[in-house]
Amino acid sequence: MKKKITAALLALGLLVSALAGCGGGNGDSGEAGNSGEKTLVFGDTTFNAENGEADINPHRDSGGWACIRYGVGETLFRFSDSMEVEPWLAESYENVDDLTWTITLRKGVSFTSGRAMDAQAVKECLDALMEEHARAAGNLQIAEISAQGQTVTIRTEEPVPALINYLADPYACIIDMEAGVTPEGIVSGTGPYQAVSLVTDTSLSLVKNENYWDGEPKIDRITVRTISDGDTLTMALQSGEIDAAYGMPYASYPLFENDNYTFTSCATSRVFFGAMNFESAVTSDPAVRRAIAMGIDRDSFVETLLGGNGYPAAGVYPDSFTFGGDAVSAESYDPEGAAKALEEAGWVDTDGDGVREKEGQRLTLRWLTYPSRQELPLLAEAAQASLGEIGFEVQINNTADHNTIRTDTGAWDIYVSAFVTAPTGDPEYFFSYCCLDDSAQNVGHYHSDRLEELAEELSGTFDTDRRGELAVEMQQILLDDNAYVFCSHLRMSMISRASVTGLAAHPCDYYEITAELDLV
Amino acid sequence: MSGNTAAAPVRSQKLRKDYTRTRLFVFSALVAALLLVAVFADRICPYDPNGQDLANALQAPGPAHLLGTDRYGRDMLSRVLVGARTSIFSALLLVAVIAAAGTLAGILCGYFGGAADAVIMRIADICLAFPGLVFAMAIAAVLQGGIQNAVLALAAVSWPKYARLARGQTLSLRQADYIHAARLAGSSPGQMILRHVLPNIAGPVLVTAMLDIGTMMMELAALSFLGLGAQPPTAEWGSMISVDRSLLQTYPWVVLSPGLTIFVSVVLFNLLGDAVRDCLDPRGTGRKQKKIRDGRK
Repeated sequence: MKKKITAALLALGLLVSALAGCGGGNGDSGEAGNSGEKTLVFGDTTFNAENGEADINPHRDSGGWACIRYGVGETLFRFSDSMEVEPWLAESYENVDDLTWTITLRKGVSFTSGRAMDAQAVKECLDALMEEHARAAGNLQIAEISAQGQTVTIRTEEPVPALINYLADPYACIIDMEAGVTPEGIVSGTGPYQAVSLVTDTSLSLVKNENYWDGEPKIDRITVRTISDGDTLTMALQSGEIDAAYGMPYASYPLFENDNYTFTSCATSRVFFGAMNFESAVTSDPAVRRAIAMGIDRDSFVETLLGGNGYPAAGVYPDSFTFGGDAVSAESYDPEGAAKALEEAGWVDTDGDGVREKEGQRLTLRWLTYPSRQELPLLAEAAQASLGEIGFEVQINNTADHNTIRTDTGAWDIYVSAFVTAPTGDPEYFFSYCCLDDSAQNVGHYHSDRLEELAEELSGTFDTDRRGELAVEMQQILLDDNAYVFCSHLRMSMISRASVTGLAAHPCDYYEITAELDLV
Repeated sequence: MSGNTAAAPVRSQKLRKDYTRTRLFVFSALVAALLLVAVFADRICPYDPNGQDLANALQAPGPAHLLGTDRYGRDMLSRVLVGARTSIFSALLLVAVIAAAGTLAGILCGYFGGAADAVIMRIADICLAFPGLVFAMAIAAVLQGGIQNAVLALAAVSWPKYARLARGQTLSLRQADYIHAARLAGSSPGQMILRHVLPNIAGPVLVTAMLDIGTMMMELAALSFLGLGAQPPTAEWGSMISVDRSLLQTYPWVVLSPGLTIFVSVVLFNLLGDAVRDCLDPRGTGRKQKKIRDGRK
């Protein structure tokens, strides 16, 4: 009996020790005690190499997103809450002719390196950007930059009507090229915070920029922690290990819908969409593409699996854009219609196994997606069931290695990803990046003569209304060809402890850590 | 006088009833019931385990859905029942494969020795030098996941235990008199192995295999949890926990149902393995022998 009591007491002791070990944060978050410094820990699921954010160098991959989001870099122009372009580091601009733009810079701005931000510094930065960043070079088409005092003159090779919008893209963060880029990928920007250390896929340490030009940052030290797993992020915020979070799984929202936490949300142009592979024996068939478009239940996906945190998508852009929402028409959920379309195209289930065949080809759809956007696997499994009912066999490949696999058109039939379609508030970006013959992300090798023609016209059109009309027409081509299936646009939310103020979601999804961020 | 003639104190001994066979019977019956459920899962499950009904997603346990529904509106009871087939049969197949392959390799090494023995045992040493589950994860990842590949991966790292056991037993048996006698009587190596070696090492191998079923079930569930085992929409207990783990705090039944099922199944197989060992182990290391020793103190 004594042995049993001793064993029970030991087990109890172990349990108490384990629970004690689980509790409490790491002491980094919240307001620091002794020094009186304000410190904040920000958790983010997307700050990682998989998302192209191995560091905060805006000239490398998607590093500009991290650079601007975490308050290190700023661009010449920025987006207002209604996605209008407005000056930021620039004071004003003038479109001298179709090829020439003159930008006057704000005075009194300096980099965290100490160097003043003048036209020469901007020229050096944009020259380096053109050399190092293929997408930026393709968008901006800069032929020559001249610098004089606070005036930058940009001459483009072709008319670039959206040049000012592109200069608000995160890749155009203005950094001090004299200070350069450290081996860790740290740059010197003009933002409210200065990066002091960075470990890829782990964390970024920031201190406040004492000489910030637009007010005094209120937090002394900020740590941005990469927490790629949504459940870990959930528990980190619950335990107080972090103070604010980006990328929280929708399933965890109910845990924070109380007075201890604050939500900030807004609709974005981030869309969950599928790109068809035109080199696949299955998805090169127009009937199959149409059946897929008709076989995905967007409304139920948004309502149930996104918990209402999104909007069923018709086309590329949400309805907050004049050229988005119902401006285009897409196939709606119609399983019977999808089955009929397949029947008519000769896809029939001859062996009674529930999967259709045509000329010996089984209707197997290899669905490539990835887990870091946590709702993508849910969409995959929902589509697997709904498409399964109309005779598809959907094989899901949910892998972090999607960036490699998608370059092999023999390895997938539909690539489903999340993408911000209008990061510059202008419609041209999506088409030039994803849909044209020379697009870097036209992974399914889609081609349309008419789309190419309209893209050419769009690239030379300065009239905003006409650009909108072209965008509608171009979207309709994509939708008529069912080259892409747009499932939902997302509502982006950040969640923070109630003591955090000044954290505001923005429709462009660029601005997170600003000088307004504070702890009360 | 009477004090001098008092009888010496009698050493009392509590007679203990031997429940070994009873335990074996009870646990065998329970495991048999579990296997029957797995075999007839598709006939007894109340709903289509893969049928989605988003309008009924995340329903709490109730009369319509005894274990509730998951985020796709799929009936949890149906998925747990059908998941038994994947989880249990995969574990049984895995144990059968590693026990057969490992035992065969061990007997051949122990009986013939030589270069083949050295090579096979060094390969076994290499396998044992890595943490088993980590090694299996690497192999499963290379094989692109899937329940068959998860079984293959675990088989590739788990056979050495049986090879070592069988080799050791064979080496000791090889020196036995009756083996020498059989050899002198003209038995071929094949006959020797099949008639004299294998029957004598079957007991320890069987006991090890029984105790391994629970472990393998856990490891398969772990690979599925990590996305390297069963793929959607296949119902498998480990992958069910993985897919819905973000709902643990808000809709706990979607995780607790498969979690508790894994727990109960693993405990049952372990208890059965324990009971089998008690019945078969001739060296006095089982509970029966322990009780006997305790009783003699």
